[in-house]
Amino acid sequence: MAVSAGAVHEALADIAGREHCLREAPALARYAIDGMMPSLVVRPATADEVSRVVALCAAERLALAPRGAGTSIGLGNPPRRLDVVLDLGRMHAVREYVPEDMVATVEAGATLDALAAHFAPHRQALTLDPPGGGTRSVGGVLATHASGPLRFRYGTGRDLLLGARFVQADGTLTWGGAKVVKSVTGYDVPKLLVGSLGTLGVLVEVTLRLHPMPPASRNWRLGFPSREAAAVFLAGLLDSPLQPDRAALLDAAGLARAGLAVDAIGLLLSIGSAPEAVEHQGRALARLAAGHGGRSEEVPDAAWAGLGPTVDGPLLLRVTGEPRRLLDWVGEAHAAAARAGVEVMVLAQPGHGVLQLSVGEGFDAARVVTHLVRPLRSALEAEGGSLVVERAPAELKARCDVWGAIQPDILAIMERIKTEFDPAGVLNPGRFVGGL
Amino acid sequence: MPLTPQLRRALEDIVGPAGLVVSAEGRLTYECDMHTFYKGTPDAVVLPESAAQVAAIVRLCRREHVPIVPRGSGTGLIGGAMAPEGGVMVSMTRMNRVVELDFPNRCATVQPGLINLWLSQATRDRGYFFAPDPSSQMVSSIGGNASTNAGGPHCLKYGITVNHVLGLEVVTGAGELVQLGGKTHERPGYDLTGVMVGAEGTLGLITGVIVRLTHLPEGVKTILASFSSIEDASEAVSAIIRAGIIPAALEMLDEVVIRAIEEGVGAGYPKGAGAVLLIELDGPIAEIEAQSGPIETICRDHLALEIRVAQSEAERALLWKGRKEAAGVFGRLTPNWLLQDAVVPRSKLPQIMKEVAAIGARHRLVIANVFHAGDGNLHPLICYDDRAPGELERAKQANEELLAACLALGGSVTGEHGVGLDKRASLPMQFADADLSFMARLRRVFDPDSIMNPGKLLPSHPACGEGFRPAARPLPAGTWI
Repeated sequence: MAVSAGAVHEALADIAGREHCLREAPALARYAIDGMMPSLVVRPATADEVSRVVALCAAERLALAPRGAGTSIGLGNPPRRLDVVLDLGRMHAVREYVPEDMVATVEAGATLDALAAHFAPHRQALTLDPPGGGTRSVGGVLATHASGPLRFRYGTGRDLLLGARFVQADGTLTWGGAKVVKSVTGYDVPKLLVGSLGTLGVLVEVTLRLHPMPPASRNWRLGFPSREAAAVFLAGLLDSPLQPDRAALLDAAGLARAGLAVDAIGLLLSIGSAPEAVEHQGRALARLAAGHGGRSEEVPDAAWAGLGPTVDGPLLLRVTGEPRRLLDWVGEAHAAAARAGVEVMVLAQPGHGVLQLSVGEGFDAARVVTHLVRPLRSALEAEGGSLVVERAPAELKARCDVWGAIQPDILAIMERIKTEFDPAGVLNPGRFVGGL
Repeated sequence: MPLTPQLRRALEDIVGPAGLVVSAEGRLTYECDMHTFYKGTPDAVVLPESAAQVAAIVRLCRREHVPIVPRGSGTGLIGGAMAPEGGVMVSMTRMNRVVELDFPNRCATVQPGLINLWLSQATRDRGYFFAPDPSSQMVSSIGGNASTNAGGPHCLKYGITVNHVLGLEVVTGAGELVQLGGKTHERPGYDLTGVMVGAEGTLGLITGVIVRLTHLPEGVKTILASFSSIEDASEAVSAIIRAGIIPAALEMLDEVVIRAIEEGVGAGYPKGAGAVLLIELDGPIAEIEAQSGPIETICRDHLALEIRVAQSEAERALLWKGRKEAAGVFGRLTPNWLLQDAVVPRSKLPQIMKEVAAIGARHRLVIANVFHAGDGNLHPLICYDDRAPGELERAKQANEELLAACLALGGSVTGEHGVGLDKRASLPMQFADADLSFMARLRRVFDPDSIMNPGKLLPSHPACGEGFRPAARPLPAGTWI
């Protein structure tokens, strides 16, 4: 810190109130990022306070990390610098909600569970469901581009975020997008912010598209004896007019962890529609599965809650390849894990080619990097895919870039964007791709 | 700016003589898009055949400080694909191939000049289609759709173009040829694809597009409901959405448009109705059947005069024909028109339709309405005759008031047409200086020399804040200060 922590603390206390400005070691420890402790934590209550906090940090050349619920604070490379953590937990209000518009404007610190409870009486939902993510903040979910089984029908935050109020690195409060479901006025600034890990601005308020809850919804677990059988079934499902709204694919370890009956590969699917359409599609689904050697059983809605534990290991990798090769990558992941001497648990997004590999305690970081991360990553990159280390101990992060290499020509453009909007590196310095 | 012999030669070296248009008559074809109010003839038109040629053109123009204007099929409605400052227009019409259909990955790679409908036709037999369906889809290009982030009737259910673009090959204003996104659905880093879609060629030129293919629905049901007044029809729209039903499309036509369509293409719309709703459901047949009953009930509750369900594909096509070709019959209505594309929150539809009628009455102008009611995206057509003294001024005034009314209700300036020259002055109604400054700085990142489609998309008033200062550029030798 350029100036004394004491002086900055006073200034931040002036903005957010003394009780919302922490500087005692035990309190700060809870806000460490990759083992690095901030000097101060500030918990502003309004967009204006956030703006003043960021402006102060910019003026004092302090490095600031925005934080929602802290669930995914482990995403990213270790911070190059860290002075202040900006905790958005006090900003959780629903600012505007007209059910007839199916649009809501909410503060970034609102949790998904709280929002779900707010919209449910109107039979509407924010269709973002990262596994185990009910306590996550909506701002954090958007900034990390987190998604879940509902992606199958409704897409991700990229598709749902209509407008965003954010604070630029110099403290300027800025708005991008619109509060209506359709708008092409100016650049689509919200797209730039989704998945940007707070490196271009701090999200303070977001306007989101909601969807009506279907009148009826039922869930099925489908089990397959082999990856090959599951792959053929999945190709058939995607090439059919069937319309599941949620979809998840698990390997045997994942199924066991989720508390579901175990097969080599299992799928959890839900269909939401009018009751007769659910019934009709459910039968078609079972027929399709049986035709590929699969067995199906209806499961309660609570089955979805079991997905959370499948991605809660101390090491979590996110693998993205071509959608059609999803089951191939499950096999590749198992083989690489065996070489690295670890067991992985797979939770995947059918139709999108995304897998999360969770590894339990007791792995050797060096072996994991050498035999799992690197070879899998280079195989994925050959088809335009990627491997992101979503969560890992500092020891492993020290051995590899968590994002993987970005093509130099693309990285050059991203660097220009970052330099334009945050030349001094106030926002999350070092944590994003290419050390941005 | 006149075309120098050197520049002309350099362009010809890149695209060959067959790919270069420099004659006055030839260039005149390119003087405007479908918004013929705005005219600006380019100094040269080039028709490249490859991304490498496009990159060479951009690098050349950058070196020579010559403006570049991209053009697909020229069907835009905003004064976008025209050259107010002259310069080089890059027409993508010769880059119009399907590069790859990849059904297992449910995507297609296409060149930017490919006609939108061709892709759906090429994939229909395999059970797929390209969901974004602007009314111009028979002639508009996918590159142009991506560049303007085009919408269409079925975007109500399926989303607009950006929701269907997985990747882009782009030549940035800095001359870089880059591949953004791709067949994989996630990439670490900023979403440059998302930013480039809808940028109207101000950040770069699109030379390739990877789009999602969507599976054809199991069934389709098209319902036409007529009402005696547009107020009743608007209330019915709000009630349908309120019931939690999102049809594939939910379109409204008012009396003026119905009459013009019947006199023009003859779609069998009920004459004398004050408004027609065209409602389409698609998806699993059991779902359609479950939804169509409540929709018919809602329409009846809102005093529908008649409810008609298309009984065959031919009947369905006829119902849609009138809607899709509505723009073509505008000529029957009026010698001149201003077209708005503003959006209001869908619950405000009844309210804004009353405002539209009041504004028309106040200015003694006919305002025709044909629009995407389900997402609150209006297309009021303000009719005027520029030979009648004062009528253009009244039309402009009505236009301003209409836009202000939409924004006062929490709306947006443009829902799907884009900004171009036409709406750039209206952006400050929706965005503060800081917001516009952010966009101007983003533009400069991609287009450091301000050569990409200059004058479009953002307001150019220096008064709007420091973000609008031109790119810092060294003064040429010999400049007097």
